[in-house]
Amino acid sequence: MRKYSFKITLIAASVLLALYFLYPTYRDYQLHKEMAAMSAEDSLSFYEQNEQEIRDNRQKRIKLGLDLQGGMRVVLEVHVLKLIEDLAKNRDEAFAQIMKEVRDEASRSEESPVLLLRRKFEQRQIRMSRYYLTLRDDNDRITGYLEDEATKAIDRGMEIVRNRVDQYGVSEPNVQKLGGTRIIVELPGVSREAEVRQLLQGTALLEFKLLKEPEIAYRVMEAIDQALAAVTDTTDTASVAALTDTTKIATPEGDMTPEEFRKKHPFFGIAIVNPQQFPGEAVVAEENREKVRRMLEREEVRRVIPNDIQFVWSAKSRLLGEGQRYYTLYPVKSTPELTGGVITTARATLDPVDNLPIVTMEMNGEGAREWSRITGANINKRIAIVLDNAVFSAPVVRGKIPGGHSQIEGMDNLEEARLLEIVLKAGALPAPVEIIEQRSVGPSLGEDSIRAGLLSSLVATVLTMIFMLVYYRTGGTVATVALLLCILFLLGVLAAFQGTLTLPGIAGIILTLAVAVDANVLIYERIREELLTGKTLRAAIDAGYDKAWSAIFDSNLTTFFSGVILWQFGSGPVQGFALTLMIGIAASMFSAIFITRVMFYLLTDSSKIKLNFG
Amino acid sequence: MRFFGKTNIDFMRPRNIAYVLSAVVILAGLASVLIRGLDYGIDFLGGTELIVQFREPVEIADVRRAMDRAGFGRAEIKTFGSDRDILVRTVEQAQGTEVADKIRTGLTDYFSKNPYIVLKEDKIGPKIGAELRRDALYAIIASVVVIGAYIWLRFKFIYGVGAVVALIHDVLVTLGLISIFDGVLNLEIDQNMVAAFLTLVGLSVNDTVVIFDRIRENQKIFKTMPLEQLMNKSLNETLSRTIITMGTIFAVLLILLIFGGEVNRGFAFALVVGTVAGTYSSIYIASAIALEWVNRAKAKGAIIN
Repeated sequence: MRKYSFKITLIAASVLLALYFLYPTYRDYQLHKEMAAMSAEDSLSFYEQNEQEIRDNRQKRIKLGLDLQGGMRVVLEVHVLKLIEDLAKNRDEAFAQIMKEVRDEASRSEESPVLLLRRKFEQRQIRMSRYYLTLRDDNDRITGYLEDEATKAIDRGMEIVRNRVDQYGVSEPNVQKLGGTRIIVELPGVSREAEVRQLLQGTALLEFKLLKEPEIAYRVMEAIDQALAAVTDTTDTASVAALTDTTKIATPEGDMTPEEFRKKHPFFGIAIVNPQQFPGEAVVAEENREKVRRMLEREEVRRVIPNDIQFVWSAKSRLLGEGQRYYTLYPVKSTPELTGGVITTARATLDPVDNLPIVTMEMNGEGAREWSRITGANINKRIAIVLDNAVFSAPVVRGKIPGGHSQIEGMDNLEEARLLEIVLKAGALPAPVEIIEQRSVGPSLGEDSIRAGLLSSLVATVLTMIFMLVYYRTGGTVATVALLLCILFLLGVLAAFQGTLTLPGIAGIILTLAVAVDANVLIYERIREELLTGKTLRAAIDAGYDKAWSAIFDSNLTTFFSGVILWQFGSGPVQGFALTLMIGIAASMFSAIFITRVMFYLLTDSSKIKLNFG
Repeated sequence: MRFFGKTNIDFMRPRNIAYVLSAVVILAGLASVLIRGLDYGIDFLGGTELIVQFREPVEIADVRRAMDRAGFGRAEIKTFGSDRDILVRTVEQAQGTEVADKIRTGLTDYFSKNPYIVLKEDKIGPKIGAELRRDALYAIIASVVVIGAYIWLRFKFIYGVGAVVALIHDVLVTLGLISIFDGVLNLEIDQNMVAAFLTLVGLSVNDTVVIFDRIRENQKIFKTMPLEQLMNKSLNETLSRTIITMGTIFAVLLILLIFGGEVNRGFAFALVVGTVAGTYSSIYIASAIALEWVNRAKAKGAIIN
C-alpha cells in the first residue's frame, strides 16, 4: 500500500478537487429546488436573505447552453456600408450609383466594403475626396479614414449593445465580438423576443442631465431611508449579515454599532453617502446594487421621490477601498438639458500640457448655443452624460462654454477616455446594426431535450456498466469505478473552466464514456491474452497495460484532433460538444489507465480479494 | 465470461466481395443524394424557422393554409415529435425578424381558438448560412487531413492513405443512408449533424488505429510472415475487443437514437450508421488498401512491407 501512496494521494486530490468545483453546481440546484417549493413571497425573502450565496453558486456552477435552458442568441451586424454612406458629403447621383454597386458586390464578396468602394471610385476615375474629407486628401488617406471610422463604429455598436444588455438586467448575459463586424449577444432565460429586438436595435439615446444639488439629493435620500425604515422590520434585517466591510466608508451618526445603524437606516446602510468624497451621489457595493434597485422600485419609496428627480446608475463599477467594486447612484434632474444629436464629433486624446487623458467634444451651431447657456447657468455644478439610461461620466462645469468646443477631464486612464469618446459619438453617429441571426429556444423545448438526453445517457451508462461487470467481473468492477470517476472529472473540469453544457455536449459525454470503456476493453483483452500465455497475474497486468498503451494513445489522440478541429470551426452548441469531448478524452485517459492500474496493484497485493478478468 | 475464444477467420479473403458491397452502398446513397437531395437544416439554408406547440393537435393541411394566407406558400411544414408541435420553415429573407413576425401573426389569425407557444425561433441571414456551410465542409476536410497525416507519421504512408480512404468511405456511406432514410426518420443536415460526422470520423479512425497498432506490433515479431496472413492474425487477435467496444458504442447510440428525442435523432442516426461503417472500413478499406498496395508493389518486384 505504502509504495503507491503518492499515486493514491494524487487520485484522492483529483477527486476532492473535482468535488470542490462541482459543489456550487449541486448547491445551486439545491437552492433552486428549495425556492421553487416556496410561495412567491417566501422565495423572494429567501432570495434576499441568501442573495450572496445564491449569486456565488450561480456564477460558479456548470452553465447550461441556450439549447438546454432556453433563451435567445442574437447576432448583430454593424452596417459599415450605411456608415460609409452617412459619412459622405455632397452626395449626388453618381455617388448613389456607386453605393448601389458596392452594396450589390458586398453581399457576395468577402472583401472589406471600404476597399470595394475605393475600387469602384478608381474604375470611374473619380477622386474619393469629392465626397470625403477635404479636396487635398488622396485616396489612401481617405481609405484609412473610412476603415478607421468603421472600426470605431463597431466598437461603438458593441458598447451600446453591452450597455443596454447590462441595464436590461439579465443574469449571465454574454456579449462578444465575432469576426470583424459582428456582435453576438446571448441572453439565457429570456423569451420576450420583441422586447429584446427593440432593446438591441433601437437608436442609442444620449442625454446630458444635470445632477441635483448635493443638499437636495441628500434630503431625498434621507426621505427614502426613513420611508424604508418605517416599513422595514422583517425583510431587510437579515441582509445585514451579508455586509462586512462597508462600515469604513459609511458615516455613522452617533455611537451606533454598524448593525444598529443598518437596522435603523436600511438605505444608508448599503448606499453610502459621503459629502466630502462624493458630493451629491451615493455609492453602492456591486453585490448590493440589485437590492438598492429593488428598494427604489418600492411603492413607498417612489412616493417620496419628487417628480423632477430621477436616480440613474453609473454604467461601470469602480474600485474603491479594499478590492471592492462600487456602482455610483446619481440623483439627476429628470428632464435632460440636451440630447446627444447635437454632438458633431468627440475625440479621446492626451492633454498636451500635463499629458493627462481628456476627451474633446464639438457641437453643431444650435447645440453650441444651448450648451453655452446651460454651462453658463450651472457653473460648478455637475452634468451627467447618460447613454441609454446609464451614466458614463458626470463632469463638473468649470465655466461657460461658448462655441460648442468642450473638454472633459478627470479620466483615470486613456481607456476610460476612449470609452467616453465612444459614448459621446453614439449620440452623434449611431452605429446602425441589423439582426442577421436570431435563435431562441423556449424553456419547454429545452426541458424536453434535457430529459431525453439525460435519460438516454443514464440508460446507456448503466447498461454499459452492467455489461462490464458481467463480462470482466473484478476487472469490470474496477472499470466501472473508473467510469464513474471519469464522469466526475469531466464535470469537475467543466465547472472549473466555467464551460457550458449543451445538448451536443451531453452527446460528447456519452462518446467519452465509449472512449473510456474502449481503453479498458483494450487493456483487459490484452491481459486475458497474456494470461493465456501462462504469465502470472501481476506480470499479465503489466504486459497488458504496456502493450495496450500505444493503441489507446494513438486512437485517443486522433479523436482529440477531431475535437480540436470542431472547437475551431464549430459554433455555439457544437463547440460545447468539442469541449466535453476534449476534456472527456483527457479525463478518461487518467481514470481508465492510471487509476485502474493503481487499483489493480492494490488488489493484487491484497490477499482477501480474488482478482480476475472474467 | 467471454464471447470468443481464439478465432482464426480469414478476414482478408472475401475483400473483393466487400469492395463491391461498399461500391453498391455508396452508389445507391449518392444516387439518392442526387435525386432526392439532402434535407438541409435552417443552419445551412438560411431563412426563418419556427417550432410552435399548439394546445390542441392540428392538421398539417390547416397550417399550410394558414401559411398560404400569410404569404408563405412555399414554406416547409412538418410535425416535430408530436402532432401538437409544428415546424415551419421558409428560406425567405427580410429585414430583422419580419418573416417570423408574419408567420406568428398568420398562425394566430388562423388558429384563433387554438393558442400556441413558440418553442424555438431561428433566423439565419443569407451570409451566415453560406458561412456555416463552408465552415462545416472545412471542418470535415481538415479533420480527415490531420488524421491522415498523423497516421502517416505514426505508421506508414500507405496506412495513412488507407485510413483517409476509409474515412471518406464512412462519410459517403453515412451521407447516402441519411438521404435514403430521410423520408422515414426526418434527418436534417444541420450543425449537430456536422458534429456527428466529425465524431464518426473520430470513432472510425479509433478502430482503424487499434488494428493498425496490432499489425505494427506483429510485424516486429513475425518479420517474415506475408502481410495478408499477418493482417488476418492481427484482426483475429483484436476481434474480441472490436466486437465489445464497437458493440457497446453501437448499443449506446441505438439507445440515443430511440429515446434521445427529436433533437438528437439525426445525430444518433449518423453515428449508428457510422459505427458500423467505421468498424467495417477498418478491415475492408483501411487495411485492405494497405494490403493491395503492398501486394502490387511486390508483384512489380519492389520490396516493401
